[in-house]
Amino acid sequence: MLFHLIKKDFMIVKKYVLLMLAVAILIPPFMLWRAPEFAGPMSFLLSVIFTVFMLLQYVSMKEYQYPKASTLLCATPYPRSALVKSKYGFCIFIYAFCCVVYWIETLVFPNLGSFSFEMVLVVFLGISIFLGIYLPIQFKLGYEKTKFFFVIIVMASPFLLPQLSKLNIGFDFSVIHSIPDVLLYGIVAIFSLIILAFSIFVSTKIYSQVDLA
Amino acid sequence: MNSILEVSGLNKSYGDFSLDEVTFSLPEGCITGIIGVNGAGKTTTLRSILGLTKKNSGSIKLFGSEMEHHERELKNRIGIVLDDGYFYDELTMAEMKDVIAPAYSAWSEQDYKRYMNRFSLDPKQRINTLSKGMRMKYALALALSHQAELLIMDEPTSGLDPLIRSQLLTILTDYMNEGGKGVFFSTHITSDLDKIADMLIMIDHGKIVFQEEKDTLLDSYRKVKGDTMTLNADTRKLFLSISTTEFGFTGITNQTAKVQKCMPDVVVERLTIEDIMLSHVEGGRE
Repeated sequence: MLFHLIKKDFMIVKKYVLLMLAVAILIPPFMLWRAPEFAGPMSFLLSVIFTVFMLLQYVSMKEYQYPKASTLLCATPYPRSALVKSKYGFCIFIYAFCCVVYWIETLVFPNLGSFSFEMVLVVFLGISIFLGIYLPIQFKLGYEKTKFFFVIIVMASPFLLPQLSKLNIGFDFSVIHSIPDVLLYGIVAIFSLIILAFSIFVSTKIYSQVDLA
Repeated sequence: MNSILEVSGLNKSYGDFSLDEVTFSLPEGCITGIIGVNGAGKTTTLRSILGLTKKNSGSIKLFGSEMEHHERELKNRIGIVLDDGYFYDELTMAEMKDVIAPAYSAWSEQDYKRYMNRFSLDPKQRINTLSKGMRMKYALALALSHQAELLIMDEPTSGLDPLIRSQLLTILTDYMNEGGKGVFFSTHITSDLDKIADMLIMIDHGKIVFQEEKDTLLDSYRKVKGDTMTLNADTRKLFLSISTTEFGFTGITNQTAKVQKCMPDVVVERLTIEDIMLSHVEGGRE
């Protein structure tokens, strides 16, 4: 059931899917060519941000364009919780695609660096925090009001990310380094999943109270 | 006769509109129409039944089970046709079917193809290129392809030409002939109900005005025409609505025998459902 709803999201934005997947593929080699100092994990992060968030925005735009279609789906046996979960599933599916693409690219372009599990988990944590905040707000306020939030994030990310990477926040990273890798990865993964689970719970609560048009 | 749907004490308020203690039931094997003017509460009632709007209070039972607690199981047994389709218009009919079909455990691809052929619909055609009549037929194909026992339709005939409306009524008759089914539909085009409905429910200002078998209803109401001079305070009370002109009066009554006794010279005529509906609606009485 969830699979079909995720597939539906891809179908309603099929015009943009190929374009955005091309973006996911091209960002890392492009950064390697134009700004090699930011290639590597930063290029992976940017490709994930653009692909996940742009496609999510296109889906939200289509849902906004055809609001009655969601009403029809909710009138069928699809539970509203499945419609909520499918939005998260859609983003995670794209994220997984970006991971596979980047892994292949690190094999083709060794200068991108190695494909590390740590990087995948840290970016997954970032995505989880973003979706964890953004989707409940969108379910509550709707696409129109929330899109400005998204536009600011996307516009600012190329400028903010390099600055953030240089930022000295005074945190003693030796504490983290003293934790065994496996345990650290486990903590990051579990923390990400907890954020997503809590966010799905909140979004479901919000959406279940919405009077559909 | 078993009740397919029982609604009791349904309350729902939105700003300046509310459903007020809406109570009715749908017998099995009947086509039931819910009538009322625009804004009377027909669509809100249907949406509350389908769980699209959250009721404030009341009970909605389908096939004897509370909708709130068995929503998924019960929705599997309902076919839905909403006005104008409610589709992702940029998808083809085949793609939209691929979205809807997995929701139903009893989806029959064979039935779907049969209906698509019967309605001469090309699955590869985009939904945004369909006429209003074709959209309604497509919605019906989706609604009837999972062995639905109750068909709920919101204004299905609105905006359709007489030929398509007539075809729809034939499809509904065929559906009912399968046995053990029920149809519940809202409309303000009462001529369709004249042809096909068995039972009528009228709603106005969020309150149920009546629930009656159509034939009983048509038998109990009459249009009365006569001289204005015969009207007085007592005889006026026998009418639901009266309009007067310099040539006489026209009134609607459900106390025909009394009227004929008190006013022997009047002319009595049969009514249409629309006349009965208007006689109960503010603004339709004069």
